[in-house]
Amino acid sequence: MKPARRHEPYLLLAPTLTLLTLFFLVPFLVAARESLFSWDLLTPRTYIGLSNYRTLWERGELGRAFRNTLAYSAVVVSGALLLGLALALLLDRKGQLAAFVRSAVFSAYVVSWVAVALLFMWLLDGEVGIVTRLAVAVGLPKKNWLGDADVALYTLAVVSIWKIAGYAMIVFLAGLQDIPPVLYEAAALDGAGPVLRFRSVTWPALRPSAAFVATTSLILSFQAFDVVRIMTQGGPAHATELFVYAIYEQIFLNLRVGRASALTLVFGVLVLSLTALQLRLLRGREAT
Amino acid sequence: MSHLASRRSLLLGSLASALPACDARSSNGAGRAAFWYSYGGKNREVLERLLARFHADPRRPRIDATFQGDYFESLAKVRTAIAVGAAPAMTHVVSEVVPYLAEAGALEPLDGYEGAADLDLVPEIAQSGTYEGGARRPLLAIPFNRSVPIMYVNGTMLERAGVAIPRDWGELRAAANALTVRRGAEVAVWGFECPVSWLFWVALVASAGGRVVDEGGTVTLGGDAGARALDLWQTLTHRDRVMRPPLGRDYNAWQVGTQDFLSGRAAILWSSTAFLRYIEENARFPVKVAPLARDHRHAIPAGGTFFVLLRAAEEREKRAAWQFLRWMTEREQTMEWATSTGYLPVTRAAITELARNGFYDAHANDKVVLGELGSVEPWPWSPTLFRVQREIMDPLLEDAVLQGTNAAEALAKGRREALLP
Repeated sequence: MKPARRHEPYLLLAPTLTLLTLFFLVPFLVAARESLFSWDLLTPRTYIGLSNYRTLWERGELGRAFRNTLAYSAVVVSGALLLGLALALLLDRKGQLAAFVRSAVFSAYVVSWVAVALLFMWLLDGEVGIVTRLAVAVGLPKKNWLGDADVALYTLAVVSIWKIAGYAMIVFLAGLQDIPPVLYEAAALDGAGPVLRFRSVTWPALRPSAAFVATTSLILSFQAFDVVRIMTQGGPAHATELFVYAIYEQIFLNLRVGRASALTLVFGVLVLSLTALQLRLLRGREAT
Repeated sequence: MSHLASRRSLLLGSLASALPACDARSSNGAGRAAFWYSYGGKNREVLERLLARFHADPRRPRIDATFQGDYFESLAKVRTAIAVGAAPAMTHVVSEVVPYLAEAGALEPLDGYEGAADLDLVPEIAQSGTYEGGARRPLLAIPFNRSVPIMYVNGTMLERAGVAIPRDWGELRAAANALTVRRGAEVAVWGFECPVSWLFWVALVASAGGRVVDEGGTVTLGGDAGARALDLWQTLTHRDRVMRPPLGRDYNAWQVGTQDFLSGRAAILWSSTAFLRYIEENARFPVKVAPLARDHRHAIPAGGTFFVLLRAAEEREKRAAWQFLRWMTEREQTMEWATSTGYLPVTRAAITELARNGFYDAHANDKVVLGELGSVEPWPWSPTLFRVQREIMDPLLEDAVLQGTNAAEALAKGRREALLP
C-alpha cells in the first residue's frame, strides 16, 4: 500500500520521532560523550577516554550491577507471573469475599513505594520484625533479612513481587474472563480434569497476558530504585546495588558524571538488547 | 459553575492579599536569600525556631530555608544548582567537602564581609583549627553545627554488668563482651554498636597514631594504623560477636544505631554529639557519655558542617545571607543551638557564658563533649578527601567489616583506587 502523498508517513511519525529524539536519543548521545570525560559539574572536564569504563570494570561495579539487576529481575518477573497467575485462578469467581480479596491484593499496587518500603522495613526487622518472629516461631533460624548480604537482594525482590502481584493478577483475571466457558465445557465432556483443562485451555489463552505481565514486570524491575534507596541504600556490601541505584550513587553521591554516564550507557545497551531479544521471540512465535 | 466562580474569586483574592506582603518583604531593603539545609528531626525544629525569631524583626532579610535531603544529597543539588546558574546564597557542608568546593572556586571568601574578623570562633572547630593550614587560607567556612564522635553508654546496663566505662580498645573489647547478652545462639543485647562509617574509622586511625592523607597529599589510609583500626571492628564483629554494625548506609546507619541504643538493643554506642539531646530526651535509662576508647593516644576528628556562601549567588543574596549567618553566630543563638541539640558551641563567648550560668555543672554529658575539643585533630586540606570518604573508604569499610576480608589487603586496594582518575 502506497501513501497518497509521500511525506504523509513522515508527518505521522514526526511527533513520536521528535519525542524519542528529545528524551531518548539526545540524552543517550550526551551520556555517551560524558562517559569519556572526568567531570563533577564544578571543575573543568578532563578527557580520559575509556577510563571510566575500565575503572567501573576493575572495581567490579559494572559486573556487580549487571549481576544484581539480572538476578533481581529474574526473581521479580517469575515471582510476579506465578503469584499473579495463582491469585487470578484462585479469585476468578463471583461473590463479595472474592471481590474484597481482589481489591485488597490490588491495593498494594497503588500504594507508594516509599510506604511499602517503610512498612516492610518494620516487618522484616532482624530482631523484632513480625516476619522474623514468625520464622523463629516455626523453628527457622533468625535471619537479618536486609542486613545479610546473601539474602538482602532476594528480600527486596520478594517485597517487589508483593507490590506488583496485584497488577499481574488483574491482567490475568482479564485474560481468564475472555476465555469462552464453552471451551471448558467441551474439555470436560472430553474427560479432561482440572490440570489438563489448565494446560490445554487456560494457559494457551493466557499466553498473551503472561507475555504482557512479563514485559511490564521486567520494565518495573529494571526501574527499581525507591525500594533500594529506602530499604538498603545498595548495601549490605553492595549486595542490593541495582543499575539505577548505582547510577544515582555515582552522580548524586559521588559526583561522578563520567562514571554515571558510562553506567547509563551500558544499562541502555542492556535494556535495548533484552527488548530486541523479546521482540524477536514474540515475532518468531507470531510467525509460527 | 457558581462553585467554580467562587473558588476562583477566593484564589484571586488570596493571591491579591499575598502579593503586597511579598512586596513589603522585598521592599524593606533587607533583601532575601536562599538557604539549603540538611537538618532533620530535632535539629530541624531548633533551626526553624531560630529562623522564626530571625524573621520576627522586619528589618532583617528574608531567609528562604529549604530542606534538601542529607548532607550528600544536598551537596549534589548545590553542585547542580551552581552548574545551571541557580545557586542558593548559603548552604552547609561537611568538613571533608570544604577543601573540594574551595579548590573548585565555588566558595565565597568571607574576609571582606562586615564583622568577619570579630566572630570570636572556637579555633578547634573553626576553619583555622579544623584544617591543616586553615588559618593561612582565606576565610571560606563558618562553623555552626560542629560535633565530635563520642561514646554513649547505657548506665543501667553498665551498672548491672558491673563494668567500668572503657577507656582503651582492650577495655572496650572486655566491656562489650561483658555487656553482650546472649539467648542461645541469638544475641539479645549487643555490647557495642558503631556505624561502620568513615568518621569513626578516622577516629580509630588517629588514635592508633595514623593519618588518612600524609603531609604531601598522598592518600595513605593510615598505613598500619588504618589496618589496626579496621581489625578492631572485625574482631569485635566476627571473633567476639559483640558488635553489631547497624543496618543501612551513611546516615541511615547512624539513625539505626541511635534507635538500637534507645531501645536497649545496644549497651554502648559510638555516635555523634549531634544526637546527644535527642538521646537524652528519649532514653528510658541514664545515658552516660565518654570519650571514644583510645589506642596509643586520644585523638578525634571533628564532624558536622560549616556554613558557606556560594560565590555564584547574587551579591544581594550573599549580603542578606551573611546577615543571617552573623546573627546565628551571636552568643544567644549559638548557646541555644548548642544546648538544644548537642552540637558544640562555636564561639568562645557562648562557652564562657554557658560555663558561667552553670549549664555545664548541670549537664555532665555536655561537659564531657566540651572537653573533647582538646583532642580534635585537624583534617588535611585535601580536595580528594571527600572522594576518599565516599568512593573508597565507606564501601571498603562496609565490605571489610561485614564480609571479614583481610584489613591490610583491603586498604592496599583502597590506596590503589585513590590513584584512579
